[in-house]
Amino acid sequence: MHDSTTQNLLVFAGLLFSVGLVGFLTRRSLILMFLSLEMMLAGVSVNLIAFSKHYGNYQGQVLAIMVLSIAACEAAIALALVVSLYRRKATLDVKEWGDLSETIVPKEVETVGSMETEAPSFPTLTPAGLDPLADPVPSEFKAELGAVPVIIDKKVEASSNV
Amino acid sequence: MNSLLILAQTDPQLWASRVTGTWSLTMLLPILLGAAAYLIIQEGVTRGLRWVLLGVLCLIGSIGLAVTFIPTSLDAWILFLFCSLATGGGVAFLTAREPVYAALGFATSVLSTCGVLFMQSALFIAAATMIVYAGATIIIFLFVLMFAQQSELRAYDVRLTNPYLAAAIGLIVMSSIAYCVTADGAFPNTKRDTTRSLSEAMSMSSSPDGLTLPAEVLTSNTPQATSGLGRSLYTDYLIAVELAGTVLLVATIGAIALATKPTAEAN
Repeated sequence: MHDSTTQNLLVFAGLLFSVGLVGFLTRRSLILMFLSLEMMLAGVSVNLIAFSKHYGNYQGQVLAIMVLSIAACEAAIALALVVSLYRRKATLDVKEWGDLSETIVPKEVETVGSMETEAPSFPTLTPAGLDPLADPVPSEFKAELGAVPVIIDKKVEASSNV
Repeated sequence: MNSLLILAQTDPQLWASRVTGTWSLTMLLPILLGAAAYLIIQEGVTRGLRWVLLGVLCLIGSIGLAVTFIPTSLDAWILFLFCSLATGGGVAFLTAREPVYAALGFATSVLSTCGVLFMQSALFIAAATMIVYAGATIIIFLFVLMFAQQSELRAYDVRLTNPYLAAAIGLIVMSSIAYCVTADGAFPNTKRDTTRSLSEAMSMSSSPDGLTLPAEVLTSNTPQATSGLGRSLYTDYLIAVELAGTVLLVATIGAIALATKPTAEAN
């Protein structure tokens, strides 16, 4: 029969590792993905310390300290990277950075049921001065109030009045 | 169901004499239930409180099933309490849609893990983990989360990437780890001296298999004090310590170089 405390701790370490793995696979925010990576490292540390206690020496603890310091380095670098990435695209979504992926894979359409806010569509009117049949409405034209600057040519108005 | 039957027994003798640590298929039950709890909670966070409560019940059931596999000393109970707290924090971290709540779940998980390490007489590492993870990392990342957060939830926080596939992968990983750890002969039962070279250890040992040390040598070797760890760290592993310091320095320089705003002439 095994030393059951060591065994329980190893199972617990595996559990922490699996939780971190699931978090890394499902989460989409860069920071939360990084935190799940840290959780996997915590599981590895628990594993090392359990074996350190089991074998009765300091090797596992020394290795755990090394893991801890490398994790601290990783945190610093990852934070700097996240900040500089955020400065470029103003989002933490990891899918925004999938530029190297295959181009034939269709882009997943974001459909968030409760969060979805569709832009309201207004009926468009042909701007004054354009023939609606001959001249299609320019695509960048927006039928909002003040979208098209109205230039009142006073000279033309004056001449037409006369 | 063997473990459940044993749990139903009230005889303390039988309770204490349970065979722990051998792999059985019933160990899959709490793992499966835990995965189901994760899926129910992560669906429930967007659907309603009722689902979340159901998932939490599943999680508690999973933890209760896992109790039947551990021995029942006070030590083991406290250890188990810390482990279940850490697991609960982990599930909260996985399912919370508000990033700040997720970070708090992570902090709960790490602090409970520190309790586990504390009970394994790794006092220094428990303190260092508390300072580095729960102190520095969490606080700094909370700053970044709040810096990047908007008033409403973002779509990328609400929509998880394929949680069912991820739960299946996690289930497979967890089951195989549990199997490998609890299988017979998974790791040596006896304490062995791994601080010396093999020939040296064999020469000073009198046991038949050559590696198992007599009990009095091991009890004198058992790590208990942080001073012993420090001595080991600064004598046996001095080069590793120096290298770790160098890596920290390089990482500091790199982080400063990456995070500073590019100047106008660089553009």
